[in-house]
Amino acid sequence: MSQHTITYEHSGVRLEEIKKQSPLRPWANRTAKFKLVTALAALIPLLIIAVVYAFTEIPGAIVVVVIYLPMQIISAVIAALLVGGKNAAPDAVIIVLAIGATMLSIIIVASILFTIIIKGFEALSLSFLTQNNEYISPPTPLGYGGIAHALLGTVLIVGIAMVISVPIGIATAVYITEVKGKGANAVRFFVQAESGVPSVVAGLFILTVFILSGAITQSAFAGALAYFILMLPTVARTSEEVLKLIPDDLRTGALALGSTRAKTVMRVVLPAARTGIITATILGIARVMGETAPLLLTALTNDRTIWNPFGDPIASLPTFIFFNVSLPFPSAVSRAWGAALVLMALVSIVFTAARYFGTRKFAKS
Amino acid sequence: MSTGLDQKPRRLPKPTAFHRGDRVFTRLVTVAAFTSLAVLLGIAIFLGTQMIPVIQSQGLAFFTTTEWTFTFAMDESDEVKFGIFGMIYGSIVLALIAVVISVPIALLLAVFVVFLAPARVAKWMTNFIDLMAAIPSIIIGLWALYIFQPVGVEWAALLNQYLGWIPFFSVTSDNFIGSPFIAGWVLAIMMIPIVTAVTREVLDRTPPELVNAAESLGCSLWTMLRYVALPFGRGGLVGGVMLGMGRALGETVAVYFVLKLVFDVNLFRILDSGGGSVATMIVAKFGEAGPQELQVLLASGFVLFIGTLIVNIIANAIVNRTGKLKS
Repeated sequence: MSQHTITYEHSGVRLEEIKKQSPLRPWANRTAKFKLVTALAALIPLLIIAVVYAFTEIPGAIVVVVIYLPMQIISAVIAALLVGGKNAAPDAVIIVLAIGATMLSIIIVASILFTIIIKGFEALSLSFLTQNNEYISPPTPLGYGGIAHALLGTVLIVGIAMVISVPIGIATAVYITEVKGKGANAVRFFVQAESGVPSVVAGLFILTVFILSGAITQSAFAGALAYFILMLPTVARTSEEVLKLIPDDLRTGALALGSTRAKTVMRVVLPAARTGIITATILGIARVMGETAPLLLTALTNDRTIWNPFGDPIASLPTFIFFNVSLPFPSAVSRAWGAALVLMALVSIVFTAARYFGTRKFAKS
Repeated sequence: MSTGLDQKPRRLPKPTAFHRGDRVFTRLVTVAAFTSLAVLLGIAIFLGTQMIPVIQSQGLAFFTTTEWTFTFAMDESDEVKFGIFGMIYGSIVLALIAVVISVPIALLLAVFVVFLAPARVAKWMTNFIDLMAAIPSIIIGLWALYIFQPVGVEWAALLNQYLGWIPFFSVTSDNFIGSPFIAGWVLAIMMIPIVTAVTREVLDRTPPELVNAAESLGCSLWTMLRYVALPFGRGGLVGGVMLGMGRALGETVAVYFVLKLVFDVNLFRILDSGGGSVATMIVAKFGEAGPQELQVLLASGFVLFIGTLIVNIIANAIVNRTGKLKS
């Protein structure tokens, strides 16, 4: 510190003066000309297409893609040449296109969510959530019948799949990070390969092995087995990431105190990773909850409320939507939208829960 | 300066060496860890064996022809013919359309999130992309059927009207509903978050010193992307696209709602109504299938499994290798 002071004093500049200077921040150096040109470059094309759209018969898609986009790119390039020189021109194109891509994806997602909410609310009522379809036929008006049976089916199927896949998924992660067996890399490879299995193939597999062979019938349990195949890779990979973050001090500490490997894992490592494992479970649930194809093959659908997961075909939200959309009755389609809204709400809850647990610290070293 | 930090940690003896409980624990965990292998082998074996009788009765025509006997309409004595060439070809066409549409969008989205957006917007966008990936395919299918299809038909009509001289955009009828173009768009919507997530991660991994060096040398964003970020993440980008493609090949219900399934191969007229998809065909035919047809569906499932497995393994290998480059 003192050395610096001396240097500055020798060169005739006082330290206090240097301290008083604020940093230049060249990137914040937006002149009035820059602001004006940018604003004009963004506004003029918008104004022109607003006029074109209002006073001509040209379809909207052409207005946006053939007229607006090239015009916006050209105006951005001109603006870039005016304020930034030749090298800024490609940047202007990228910025326009990137913002365009972002807008497009936001519009798509907003459209999906908006449609579900608008159309779903038409069907939504208390009876819709608490009744089943046993005593109604598809053309019955909306006030009667509901999705309680499908909701129960989804909960049963996802619940059973969770009970099977979470222990196996955690064990897979433990094998890779704690036991560090010889096959760790191979196991990681297989898990990755399994995560790419199409959901319909998972359904076909369960169909051949368990249902066509006569071992079990199409039921919640069969559906859960198909979900298990899809859920396992997600749980295993996320748990592995989480276990890797647990500090080694915990493991060595437990071992030094005389604990066995098994107890170290069960009593120290896994409890320390508790929140992370909850996140892994939730992500697994989110992965399978909307899967339709495997249930079409293994669980079918049903109009009654089924509590027994082994005996009968069972309804679930995705298959309920699938079969109702295919019916030529407005009330059935409306029910499908209602079920879609409930399914999306469930997915959002699960998604938010994963975010909540995922951002919390799970290992305090 | 020896602080002891540079010493390698001592390897603990294998757990089997000292405790019976540990031995049991290790065995249990090992058995559980190989469940995914068992599942993969199980799928290969059980669906693969269904392939044998199908090949015996159909021969290679199963892969190369497009004839499909509708079993509910025929006599027992008739010779049945099943060929899934149109479906395999259709699946690939759909995946390619989805790639062509989604990759530029996903790439631009990733560039926006990593290099352009302010930190808060970037974080918000990351969450948004994850949410997009979480939307169940059946909901996207429902939305596509009622909301997107009319829009897609309009776009298709416009494309045909102005660019119809390009063979891809020519049509044989004026019916644009259920075309591969629309189904490809739906698949693209499902692919965008997957490809964006991988691309974003890969671009994020570009060593900051390289980016900073490029910028301090006066590179513009484009030059930096062109000469630093994209070459560095090229492998990961290709892998991400292939991961998305694997998902597109296996997608079932969303396509079921918007694609008119025809067994004849739709060679290149992507705006024409009618196309094929192996996954969708399985679900569409399952309800009415007799025993022999069911066997054919299972064999088709095997074809789909092998196809997606190959795409996925290659994609994962590429992505994983890119990950190691950074260290």
